[in-house]
Amino acid sequence: MPPPQPPPNQKASPPPDYKTIASQFAAAKRTKEAEDNKTKKKNKAQASSVAVHNPVEPQPQLQQEQQKAIITAREQRRARLEAARKRAYQSRWAWTASFWVWLLCVHVVGIAYFTSGFLLTRLVLEEKSACDAPPYESGSESSSQSSLLPAWEGRGTVDGGCWHPRTFKRAVVVVIDALRYDFTVPVEDDAPFHNAFPFLWETAVREPGRAFLRPFIADPPTSTLQRLKGLTTGTLPTFVDVGSSFSGTAVEEDNLLMQLRDAGRRIVHLGDDTWEALFPGYFEENLSRAYDSFNVWDLHTVDNGVIEHIFPLMDRKSEWDVLVGHCLGVDHAGHRYGPDHPEMTKKLRQMDGFIRDLAATMDDETVLVVMGDHGMDSKGDHGGESDDEVEAALWMYSPKGIFGRTKPEYVTPSATAKTRPVNQIDLVPTLALLMGIPIPFNNLGRPIEEAFAGAAGSSWANLAAAERVAAAGIKRYQTAYFTARGIEDSAGPGSPGELWDKAEALVSQGKGQDWPAIFTAFAAYQEATLQKCKSLWARFDLKNMVIGISVMALGVIVLLVYGSRGDDDDVIEDEELDLAEKSLELQGVKTDVEAAPSATLDKRLVGAALLGFLPGFIGGVISSFVSGAGDWYRGSGIAALTSTAAVLVSMYEVHETVLKIIPRTLWGWMAVVFTVSQSVGFASNSYTIWEDSILLFFITTFGFASALAALRIPSRADRYLAIYHSVVFVLLGRLASFSKLCREEQMPYCTSTYYASATSSTSAPWQLLIPFLVCIVLPSILKAYLEPSRSYEGLAPTWIGYVFRTGLLMSALYWLLDAADNGNWIPGLPDKTLKNISVYTAQMVLGLALVAGTTAFIWAPPCVSIVTSASPTDPTKAQVAILGYGNAHGARYLLLPLNLVAACVLLSKPMGGGALGLMAWQILALVEMLDLNNLPATCSPIGPVMLALLGSFYFFKTGHQAALSSIQWDAAFIPLFTIRYPYSPLVVALNTFAGQILAAAAVPLLVLWKASPRKRGLLDAVSRRALAGFVVYFAVECLATMAWAGYLRRHLMLYRVFSPRFMTAAVVLLVVDLVGILVALAGVRCNTVAIGEVFGWAE
Amino acid sequence: MPLVDPVTMSSTTIAKAAASKAQATSSKAASSSSPPTYALLHPVQIRQTPLAQAARHALPAALAGLFAVRFRALVADPVSTMSTTLPLTAALQVAYAVLCLPVAGSQGGGGGAAKGARKQHKARPGEGGGGGGGGGGLGLKKRSAEGAGPSAVVTALLSLLLALLVTPFLHAAMVLFGAPFLTHGAHTLLCAAHLAVLALFPLFYVHGVDGPAWAAVGGFGAPLDETFGGLVGGVVGAWLGAVPIPLDWDRDWQRWPVTILCGLYGGYVLGRVLGGTLVWGKRF
Repeated sequence: MPPPQPPPNQKASPPPDYKTIASQFAAAKRTKEAEDNKTKKKNKAQASSVAVHNPVEPQPQLQQEQQKAIITAREQRRARLEAARKRAYQSRWAWTASFWVWLLCVHVVGIAYFTSGFLLTRLVLEEKSACDAPPYESGSESSSQSSLLPAWEGRGTVDGGCWHPRTFKRAVVVVIDALRYDFTVPVEDDAPFHNAFPFLWETAVREPGRAFLRPFIADPPTSTLQRLKGLTTGTLPTFVDVGSSFSGTAVEEDNLLMQLRDAGRRIVHLGDDTWEALFPGYFEENLSRAYDSFNVWDLHTVDNGVIEHIFPLMDRKSEWDVLVGHCLGVDHAGHRYGPDHPEMTKKLRQMDGFIRDLAATMDDETVLVVMGDHGMDSKGDHGGESDDEVEAALWMYSPKGIFGRTKPEYVTPSATAKTRPVNQIDLVPTLALLMGIPIPFNNLGRPIEEAFAGAAGSSWANLAAAERVAAAGIKRYQTAYFTARGIEDSAGPGSPGELWDKAEALVSQGKGQDWPAIFTAFAAYQEATLQKCKSLWARFDLKNMVIGISVMALGVIVLLVYGSRGDDDDVIEDEELDLAEKSLELQGVKTDVEAAPSATLDKRLVGAALLGFLPGFIGGVISSFVSGAGDWYRGSGIAALTSTAAVLVSMYEVHETVLKIIPRTLWGWMAVVFTVSQSVGFASNSYTIWEDSILLFFITTFGFASALAALRIPSRADRYLAIYHSVVFVLLGRLASFSKLCREEQMPYCTSTYYASATSSTSAPWQLLIPFLVCIVLPSILKAYLEPSRSYEGLAPTWIGYVFRTGLLMSALYWLLDAADNGNWIPGLPDKTLKNISVYTAQMVLGLALVAGTTAFIWAPPCVSIVTSASPTDPTKAQVAILGYGNAHGARYLLLPLNLVAACVLLSKPMGGGALGLMAWQILALVEMLDLNNLPATCSPIGPVMLALLGSFYFFKTGHQAALSSIQWDAAFIPLFTIRYPYSPLVVALNTFAGQILAAAAVPLLVLWKASPRKRGLLDAVSRRALAGFVVYFAVECLATMAWAGYLRRHLMLYRVFSPRFMTAAVVLLVVDLVGILVALAGVRCNTVAIGEVFGWAE
Repeated sequence: MPLVDPVTMSSTTIAKAAASKAQATSSKAASSSSPPTYALLHPVQIRQTPLAQAARHALPAALAGLFAVRFRALVADPVSTMSTTLPLTAALQVAYAVLCLPVAGSQGGGGGAAKGARKQHKARPGEGGGGGGGGGGLGLKKRSAEGAGPSAVVTALLSLLLALLVTPFLHAAMVLFGAPFLTHGAHTLLCAAHLAVLALFPLFYVHGVDGPAWAAVGGFGAPLDETFGGLVGGVVGAWLGAVPIPLDWDRDWQRWPVTILCGLYGGYVLGRVLGGTLVWGKRF
């Protein structure tokens, strides 16, 4: 059917761009305006939020038939167009989502590459050594199946000596933290730290049978925690010891203390409380005394405590078997003053006196071991691997007089730590064999020769036997480790395997053996194995790290260019134009919707990404095969590089260049400063530790800037509203900042408020009120934010007012029940009653929020309602008004993040639930501020970056820190009784990253808030402006932490600060990517479809 | 089934769109011409008298010198040092205002010829302020505008009082930025007082309680001069002063609020000098 009235100037201008339509429409409108001027009526009061619809005046009867036919035809055409638009939209969405999936892959590859080179992992084996199973019996081919020594009394029992004859019944181990070797030997200078602790050296020289002193080399990292692990397990520390669980710091591997405890030995501990963290429940409770290790300003409390309590115990030797004393004064003096200070002299003199007195109380049954766990650098700090940091001292003493030297010149201790050092792990087999217990399974050390050489220094058989049993243990461990890891043990000349065979061959030569040769052969084996393990566990793979960083950096650049604002990509916001275009289409002027650009940039980019991926992947695989490296996975790294490069080239072709990312407004610069300054700050452990305060500082800065900028808003009402929202935004941020869980390094300048006290992980009774407060207040707040735009319509009142509120109430009840259960408030209830009720409550909340909530979101109509009223100018005619029209997109989308809020409030502790409530409020204040200050995501990156800052901020405010120890594993048991996959990890993820997840889910609000159904280009704006800006923040953080962790890989805070921060950033980036695709983009699609069904397709 | 027929809907949207467009254009017009007060707010000129010209250079140096001399004491005992230094700073600022700045309502300030020429179109800010504030203080200032001498001193003292009245709000702002909430109250309050006396007092002296002028200052619409430059410099300096606090250097000068005060004085002196010279008259 031909169009009824020929539209003006219907030239076939091939891509009907907006500007020509605009001029066409202007002409048409002028004529039209003249004839039906009076049909237009305005309702000024509701102009912004309400669309008004006036029916056309009644037409003469004659024309009606014709009119009807036209309308039917138009109706059909309209339906066809709508369907085509919907298809086009969906395909565009699919391309956009593909782009983000590709970006996720790039991030995964970058992070995986860097991690494979950076995070060295070691498998923790569960096996324990047993007294009655010496290692050489399992070594099958070995010709002699038993010890080299003749059988001794009590062999195979702890009292006689499991694997080697026992020497001592009791041991006193005194760790003097940071006792550097040169502190203990005579040095000819006047330095305050020299010659102040002569006792060790004197006794070793004067009574060589009773004492010896040797340099004691630590394996880096030289932090006390890692050192104590090494000193008790005999193995090398790596960052991630992959064991059965990540929780806690307790040592799970076989270790000296575990062997002692299992043998029924009573262990007493005095001093540094790190021991209590590593070995919980090992120590005799009534005799042990632990002291806070972190207060480096206090030089004396720990030492005086140890000294005060150790001497009474020397008179009651029957009450314990092993005594561990750990003095911190020397270390603290180093940290506080540095070694070159009179306080250090005093401290060393005090230690000299202490050890002198302690040695006097020893008896023949007891061995006294004094050692430093690490040294200190010239400033008195430690943690790294410089010579001064790794060179500690070891001194052993016993009045029994059994220590010997294999050469007479060894009597005088070495003048420096460079000659005749022993490894710290060597203490493990030495102590184990002296005490008669089995050597811990994972041990890599060898016995110290002075302890087994006999007083005359000639007991070669004893020495060789000790060396062999330790070597056999190492061999057994190596076999088990390689089996568990699936690695082939290498053979060939010089390899540990060959050395072992050589040594065993010497043993099998029969009686009358050459003991020194056997001893040397096994020592060589131990040496080679240790070297091999060091290379396995302690070497960073720089090449992989660089590839990972490059992939991430290219990914960031791609995202920046993708999200940069082009000059010509302004979506023309003109409703008249839309309308004109619509009517032209209906009249058949615009031939088909296919002409409308569908999936322009995203499609192109995904194509380029695939194009770049293939050659890179194939090239990588081929090159690795050709080079024989066999690491075919390198293909993925090169593929990621070529793929991102291809995308960049493709963007360049459409004039999306790097130059466009330079911000052009003060707000843009503010976003850059916030992001970049934080990234630069990650180079410093202090700024990493205090990240939460820094985020608050930035958030408040933005709030104040927004309040000041609001002074420029011309409309008085808007100005006050903008100032009000800015003030609310700032106040909420500061209020949330009172929820704190301090990390160790923040002490003593930080007080935790997240739990009832610093030592508990339960909530105080008053904190249980917070979720109830959230339940009462938050839905009303949401209502207050929806009402000004008349959007508290449709599903909103039901969902927010009742369902959401019920969910919050049940969360509050859950935490009440949980507290009642923990505190046993209702005695007499059958076991598990409360636990059962609370778990089912939690499951209901999650079902309500996530399952019912998602369903409701998908099927919900727009949050609008239609009212018919009399037209104000002509009371005989009806007027239709759509309430909530102006915020149709935003109000409906808001339901989706709210569902996540409900779930996260349940899964966070009461304090965290309160923080998340504040976050939801703050996000709404933010979108209002951006709207009023005219800073939509389409023209300024500040909105997405502020949202990202909020996400990071609330990560800290929900009781987390960038440290493994702050993960709230117990969250897994909120909705479940036992660990169940995949739910438990999901629950822990929702608990841990609640802030970032909520922020990511709220990203589309930056675009959709106050967007009417007629608004075009929403998907493009969400993806390219809001989500890109948001993800860029996290990608830059990840890149920065990665680069800094790689660069500072020798920094003493690497394992405490930089590595955990990198891991947090990496996981957060992936979480944000996933939520961006699965929640934000998918939610926008649902939302647009639902709005489009009702109002017609704008896109 | 759509609730609203898009075809007919469209005709109403035209109306609505037209309305909103009209509103938009009018608001755009308003926004371009709306800050008439901004446009009329002229940069403050320092009086032309030799004494004023000497003082404008000497006083910032004196402020910087004062801070440098008191720095050690400040690190050792922030509260007592800040409270003893505050009167000195205030005295320097009052001297600066009286000697160099035009008193509120007289805008042109200083030298005879320049003042006379500018007077005609300079009257407005003062009047606007009179309408908005209408306070006795301002009236007093207006009346005494021409006279200089004792009335300038009175204005200066009133402005000082205003600056001190604003101090609690600055304190609250600092707490919002993360300053200790319950502890260190005296530290923060004194720091806020220094900020008020340095950065706000001169603005009170030249603008009185003129609402639109303050809106222009707050909205970064005012032209840069010694007073506004000092405010921007002082605030930015104090903001940057927070940067070294978290570092684990364990230095005494990292104590709250030494670094803030350091940034404040440094930024203020720099902003005032630059605002009066290099960037004078420029706008953001």
